[in-house]
Amino acid sequence: MPRDMQAEDPATAPDEALLARYAAGDPAAARALTLRLVPRAMGYAARMLGDGAEAEDVVQEAMLRLWRAAPGWRAGEAQVSTWLYRVVTNLCTDRLRQRKRRPAAALDEAPEVADGAQGAEAGLIEADRMAALQAALDALPDRQRQAVILRHIEGFTNPEIAEVMDIGIEAVESLTARAKRALTAILAGRREELGYGEED
Amino acid sequence: MARKTDGMQGREGLEDLFAAMREERVPPSDALMARVLADALAHQPRPALPVAAEVGAGVAVRPGLWRRLAGLFGGAGALAGMGTAAVAGLFIGFVQPEGLSLLGDAVLGTPLETVELIPDVDMLFAGN
Repeated sequence: MPRDMQAEDPATAPDEALLARYAAGDPAAARALTLRLVPRAMGYAARMLGDGAEAEDVVQEAMLRLWRAAPGWRAGEAQVSTWLYRVVTNLCTDRLRQRKRRPAAALDEAPEVADGAQGAEAGLIEADRMAALQAALDALPDRQRQAVILRHIEGFTNPEIAEVMDIGIEAVESLTARAKRALTAILAGRREELGYGEED
Repeated sequence: MARKTDGMQGREGLEDLFAAMREERVPPSDALMARVLADALAHQPRPALPVAAEVGAGVAVRPGLWRRLAGLFGGAGALAGMGTAAVAGLFIGFVQPEGLSLLGDAVLGTPLETVELIPDVDMLFAGN
């Protein structure tokens, strides 16, 4: 009995079990899945797009596709979170393709991290560092950006990334390595501004 | 040598930036959460209703074969009695017990060989 009660607790139930309960008409499962999945999807989409409003649109569309897929969901075929990240990835890719690709401009559009006369010695606040990293991420090719965000921001393993991106594990390793090299090069010119380039 | 040292510092700094970005999540707005939940409830399949509720809602449930036969013959008891009589008649006709023939001869006064349920056609013309 306690085991059954625990299995029915939306806070601890696995994603797949909640999705099955959602498909069976349980409104508590809808709420639990929303609370669990939307923040993760939002964080990923926001890093991918660099735009919160666009990211919200993407997340809402991805979750809508999940709700529609729920009645026909086949148990054990795919993890719910992996499936959702794949949908978010594809939607973000579509949006990025619609944009005019201007990497240099995107980097230039990042907030100035410090005024040369005032802030160089005082260091930068965390928001400036994040803005600079986000601008550098925006400058990467789409696939490299996806791989490095999934690996180093979202904390996915390489096999999980391979499943999300529908590529091999070696390709994932190659993409993340190239992405990190590119980010290092992009940020090299701003090393002092970012507060990690000073030699002791 | 100096370039390699710079590269290492850059990688280490990059890991710090990644760690900082992991800490600084981009939270969804309350409006987004509300929209997603509204979509979920709008597209959620309705739970299956019990049979009693369906009958109450006017959905006809077709009875089974046995229930319809029992209703036709006046209930399950009458249907069982008819079945028993049919089986007994079939048994007697097939076995033809000796005692039953003697009883028939005593009642009718003559040996009963055949029974004509439909009169012969010649009897219809006998009156002419």
